[in-house]
Amino acid sequence: MSRPEKRSKVNLFRPKKGHMRDEVLIILAILFGWVVCTFGFQFLVYACRGTGAGSLLTRLTLFNLPLHFWFTGQFLPLWFIFLCIIFNVYVDRITEYHSRKRDRSYE
Amino acid sequence: MNDSSWSIFVVLLVLLSFILVGLRQKARESQEYGFGGRFTGRIGGGAAIASNWMSAASLMGLAGIIYLHGYQGLAYVIGWTGGYVLLLVLLASQIRRFGKFTTPEFVGERYGSKPARLIAAVIAIAISVIYCVAQFKGIGLIFSFMFGVGYEQGVVYGALAVVSYLVISGALGVPRNQQLQYLVICVAFIVPLMWLARRLGYFWVLPQFGYGRALTDLWREFRIDFTLPFADDSLFQWCALCFTLMVGTGGLPHVLSRFYTVPNVRDARWSVVWGLFFIALVYWSAPAFAVFGRLIEARRGMIPSPEAARAAADVVTLNTAVAAGLPGWLVGVLAAGALSAAFFTVAGLLMTGAASISHDIYYSFLNPRASERARMQVAKGGTLVLAAVVLIIALDPPGLIAEITAVAFALAGNTIFPLFLLGIWWDRANRYGAIAGMLTGVLCTVAEPVFGGTFPAAASFFPLTSSALCGTPLVILVMIAVSLATPPPPEAMRSFLEQEVHGHMD
Repeated sequence: MSRPEKRSKVNLFRPKKGHMRDEVLIILAILFGWVVCTFGFQFLVYACRGTGAGSLLTRLTLFNLPLHFWFTGQFLPLWFIFLCIIFNVYVDRITEYHSRKRDRSYE
Repeated sequence: MNDSSWSIFVVLLVLLSFILVGLRQKARESQEYGFGGRFTGRIGGGAAIASNWMSAASLMGLAGIIYLHGYQGLAYVIGWTGGYVLLLVLLASQIRRFGKFTTPEFVGERYGSKPARLIAAVIAIAISVIYCVAQFKGIGLIFSFMFGVGYEQGVVYGALAVVSYLVISGALGVPRNQQLQYLVICVAFIVPLMWLARRLGYFWVLPQFGYGRALTDLWREFRIDFTLPFADDSLFQWCALCFTLMVGTGGLPHVLSRFYTVPNVRDARWSVVWGLFFIALVYWSAPAFAVFGRLIEARRGMIPSPEAARAAADVVTLNTAVAAGLPGWLVGVLAAGALSAAFFTVAGLLMTGAASISHDIYYSFLNPRASERARMQVAKGGTLVLAAVVLIIALDPPGLIAEITAVAFALAGNTIFPLFLLGIWWDRANRYGAIAGMLTGVLCTVAEPVFGGTFPAAASFFPLTSSALCGTPLVILVMIAVSLATPPPPEAMRSFLEQEVHGHMD
């Protein structure tokens, strides 16, 4: 009788308990923020074309730039930096939390 | 001195100063530490990431594509910055812990397969060649501007200059001071922009915001709407391009290898944040060059035809600086910055590509008994062969700088990114899946030119510059299906992934 194959030990969608699960949670949260603002916003601009909401997005100005142009050209790179900072701060914290009595210089 | 003479003078001065500073650094480090290379902190690491990233595509191509397509061109800004989020959250720490320095090494080790390693090496070299073609186009255009010669002659002069610079730096053993390089490239891009904004009467302290009024003037005076969303292309095309550039960033060999130059994982992560900030500084500025360029043209009564605009797009930064009457030395500074970025990108990619030919193809596959000397000779010959191949393609460039670069990103996103993603996050991925995935990725990348005529759907779903939106998920599915249908990878590798790459806190 053949032995059943061992369950996968590393899987993004089935993380182990502990550090990996916390890490995967923050990864998914960051990716959600990344997708929604990048592609979700473009979808919104596209879907609202020719409507009142659409003209609001393209006529309202910020720093003399139409809102959609400012959001895409200037805000999104800033948003990415912000996401990276959030990720790093959170990962630093969970690393602190999960590290036991061990040589900390590794991290 | 005229603009061209100033440019030649400033360019020579900048390149010479890099060599002198490098030599001084080498002498000091060997005196102080006894070995080359030093850690310069997270900010220094970030500047190195940004310097490594900056190329003709960032300093010339980006402004050109926005000048040509307006809002549609912002997909490049977003793609080339948003990719770092993917890279940071999904790969940076893990590949740092995995401990393999190049893409073929990672593939060879993770998937335990020589053929997979060979295919990965060939793909990495192909990416380098395509990327270098875009850089050579930028170098050719600048040399053509500096010496007042035709484009073809400019490319040949540029190629000779790059190879000479590589030989001189190599012979003197000059280390790259990437922090200084970033500083020079950034200042050389932003100071002329500030000058330009001031000259045109806009808010010059932060021209990245000051160009908003220029955009309004462009519409008010000439009815040119630069901000119209999805004017030339569809939402699908915008998203496909943006996604391709993002996953391509996550799979570009010379970007991935940056994480090994910092001493630990935490510093590697924080260096990415600083790197992204430094890159964004330049990317916030590029649209301003495009808008000022359009405005100056319109005010001079020049509304170029689409063909003329496309021909001029890649030199819009230099042309705008000249047309606005910037002092010759400042035009020279702008040219020197762009040329330095292209130069060092080419130098890095040619050397990495040649090392891959020597190590991953010649030594690992063809002749495992090769001596150190023979491998070195293959590497040197490889550099020249790659430079010659790039030169031949660049003599008749197939597109704009940004477009050619995007093809390299598409290939990286379709092949290397899924390989790393599943290699790190799914221990069941095996060598058969890796090989099938890479081959599928290559097919997706070339689908438009190869199959587009017979199957128009291939061209619609896999556009040459934007094939990864459909390509990457398809490759991931193929990798999963083939891996599940074939035997699992060795237990030792699965345990290594579990314990060393992901289980370091258990």
